[in-house]
Amino acid sequence: MNKCEDKEVAFFGKITAGITHELKNVLAIIRESSGLMGDIISISPEAIIKHQEKIQNSIVRIKDQIERGVNLTDRLNRFAHSTDETLSKIDLQETTEQLVILAQRFARLKHVVLKTVPPDQEAPPVTLVTRHVQIHMALFASLECCFTVMSAGGEINIGIRKLEGKNAVHVVCKGELPVQTEFSRDISESKNWQDLQEIAACLQGSAHLDEIEHGIVLSFPNEISR
Amino acid sequence: MKNLKILLVDDEEEFVTTLAERLELRGLQARVALNGEAALQIIEADTPEIVILDVLMPGLGGLEVLRWIKAQQPQIPVILLTGRGSTKEGIKGMELGAFDYLMKPINIEELIKKIQEAIESQP
Repeated sequence: MNKCEDKEVAFFGKITAGITHELKNVLAIIRESSGLMGDIISISPEAIIKHQEKIQNSIVRIKDQIERGVNLTDRLNRFAHSTDETLSKIDLQETTEQLVILAQRFARLKHVVLKTVPPDQEAPPVTLVTRHVQIHMALFASLECCFTVMSAGGEINIGIRKLEGKNAVHVVCKGELPVQTEFSRDISESKNWQDLQEIAACLQGSAHLDEIEHGIVLSFPNEISR
Repeated sequence: MKNLKILLVDDEEEFVTTLAERLELRGLQARVALNGEAALQIIEADTPEIVILDVLMPGLGGLEVLRWIKAQQPQIPVILLTGRGSTKEGIKGMELGAFDYLMKPINIEELIKKIQEAIESQP
């Protein structure tokens, strides 16, 4: 990317981060207001406030949705801050988990379940010095490749591991899928695959199809040269 | 804890006034300041037993108010409220002498627990 494009991305991130902060304040006000309603109901006799149980159930639903909103705004805030620096040190597992939460809606529209594979407790965290935003782009492009060939009811599992000394992200598709050769052909002929190749090249890494499992393997260097 | 004098400082009026009402329902005496400058005036005029302080406020920010409290009235415990997804401001505040910090939106039971811990930790 050239300098102006870098600045565009940074600007977009700055504005988004500011808005997520505001959204958190909105959620905080809703939480306190619904909490106050709950407090008042719990100290009022049933005779004074009718349908107490229904109101309490409604407050519980509001609370659950606030939790959902907080989780999303937290992730969006971190995502927005990923544009702060052109190159930064990132935890690949954390970045993947973050993207999986932010991409849930896209998966839901395809009726596909998106999951991260928990890291091996013994293994040290995989950290990279790289372009954070482009790592997000590469992960998302790999999901879009999978969406191209997957049917409703499928599942995508994303795991991080060291593969022959390289930092690899393994994206595995499960469910009703074309046979391996068709799966590979359909993905490699898609526009999303071309996009993924370009992004991987920008990151001085690579993206290839897994010839055994239905999946994609992305690999990235420990540190990209400037 | 009953009748504990507590000062809530936050520029989000709807948030802070509702939180004050909820604390009052639990028997605490909650006062509200909508900015850092107002908070300092209240502290000087009628010292609270604990301050709940938002970090990000226009004008005098939460960390500046915290520095002032720790310089002028170090006996007052301060619990910070941070709005960001990161813990950076909270940790910075603790280095400056805050008792602890909570992320917004807060859980009132968690806040009350922290208030209790802060009061009990007082010499």
